[in-house]
Amino acid sequence: MNITSCMKRHVVSIKSNTTINEAAAIFVKKHIGLLPVVDKDDKPIGVIGMRDLLKLELPDFVNFVADVDFVHDFGAVEDTRPSARNLNKSVKSLMRPVITIEEDCGLLRAYALMLQQNLHDIPVVSKEGKLIGIASRVDVGVAILSSWEKVE
Amino acid sequence: MAILPIILSAIIFFGSLILIFGEKINRSIVAIAGAVLMIGVGKVFGFYSEEAAVEAIDFNTLGLLLGMMILVAMLEPTGFFEYLAVLAARASKGKPLRLFILLGIVTTVLAMFLDNVTTVVIIAPVTILISEIIGVSPLPYLMAEAILANTGGVATLIGDPPNVLIGSAAGFSFNDFLVYSLPIVLFSWVGAMFLLQYLFKKELSKRPRRSKAVMRLNPAETLNQPDTARRILIVLGGAILFFFFHHLLHIEPSLVALGAASIALLWVQPDLQEILKKVEWSVLLFFGSLFIMVGGLEHSGALETFVGVFQSGASMSPVLFGILVIWVVAALSAVVDNVPITIALIPIIQGLGNSGVDVDPLWWALAFGAGFGGNGTIIGATANIIVASLSEKTREPITSALWIKRGLPVMLVTCTIASILYAIIYPWF
Repeated sequence: MNITSCMKRHVVSIKSNTTINEAAAIFVKKHIGLLPVVDKDDKPIGVIGMRDLLKLELPDFVNFVADVDFVHDFGAVEDTRPSARNLNKSVKSLMRPVITIEEDCGLLRAYALMLQQNLHDIPVVSKEGKLIGIASRVDVGVAILSSWEKVE
Repeated sequence: MAILPIILSAIIFFGSLILIFGEKINRSIVAIAGAVLMIGVGKVFGFYSEEAAVEAIDFNTLGLLLGMMILVAMLEPTGFFEYLAVLAARASKGKPLRLFILLGIVTTVLAMFLDNVTTVVIIAPVTILISEIIGVSPLPYLMAEAILANTGGVATLIGDPPNVLIGSAAGFSFNDFLVYSLPIVLFSWVGAMFLLQYLFKKELSKRPRRSKAVMRLNPAETLNQPDTARRILIVLGGAILFFFFHHLLHIEPSLVALGAASIALLWVQPDLQEILKKVEWSVLLFFGSLFIMVGGLEHSGALETFVGVFQSGASMSPVLFGILVIWVVAALSAVVDNVPITIALIPIIQGLGNSGVDVDPLWWALAFGAGFGGNGTIIGATANIIVASLSEKTREPITSALWIKRGLPVMLVTCTIASILYAIIYPWF
């Protein structure tokens, strides 16, 4: 079994000139966590995750104070919104390098890669490098576990 | 006296200083190499030796620094510093001016007895937290903390590395600092505080959006090892008590600090590897290496030559000369590290003392200049660099231009206050 058996073939992707605000709207509408960014030939050039967008709102202190248990009210932070200027920038500034797998990739290899690279979704590309699908940890994990039914 | 050793030792020393101030190579690496070179060249030309080098190291300074570093390394993970900052935040009720003053006082008091850098490293992140939850810019608070820590540190023997060096070289006790330095620092600190409030008037008058959020910070939850914190604070308190009497008991401050460190280690029995990792060995090596280099200068006769130059200066009115020392050392400290400046000037002042000049006032002038000068620029003191580099990772970075606008006036005012009081107190030094 390889990754094509469990991946989603309908992939929502964006171009690098999409604005951050437009990307946010897509996350909301499609209820997804990762958006591959593709070039004009549909080849992935990066990804942008929901967490990259949320980072715009997270307060700075979260990066410095290891344990925020004692802060029972985030106060002003709770209702700060990123500036319109920031939201109208293209996603390029937030884009991260993409890690892909090819369509013939085995399920365990795919799962191990996601585990090690801490990915929740992984884009799948054809031999030519075109984006053809996307698989989540649950997709891969369910596919692996379902093979256990045949164990005697 | 042979001229060649003088020239060679001076080249090694000043060459190393230039590399240290250039900051292209790690300063401790430069100092170690310089120290080894000084001994090697000294042996070849017959003016220095391994034994003389070991004798040149001021183990009292190193012991005092090491002891305090171990205590701070043990206190740091207990959450005690955060605890104090949270208490200050709650007491301020989220009002910016009150918060500014209270955080400034907490930082200063900690910096007077503990290392400035550690104090700022721990207080600054909590400061960013507090200002973010009430919805104000952290910049005024961060800059004030570094500046007030630098200022307050001058008040005590253990507040600042230059003071440790000066205390050891001049034989000043803990109480000498409380009598001669603390009052001048107190006035300068108040001056700095008022000036900072004025300079940050605009930021501090802005109403925070959610000042009440500070009341939901729970101080008890910041103390993750309350029992350890209690033990270390008891030992630290005992050490400070001993510092008051160390000269009467004829024990060196280093013994007090190392004694306190060993009692705390025995009582708490922490993971020693973890604690030793937090001790700044590079700083201790840096100090030791500089001592060896200065020892080489002394043995080659180079220092005597410099002392001669300074002697002509000392022939002016002693009060004016002292004030001149404050300003020259402050100007130097604003652009370079104050530790090498202090270590280089110590033997010169000692030399002046040997030639009959009353140097006690000069030691204090050196302490004020080295301490207050660091406020002038963003690179003037390690505490400044710490808050600046922390703020670089936030939405509002502190720029060096901003530091000059806010810090330089503070340096000028504190040096002026110190100079005036210096002139008034001079007869009692």
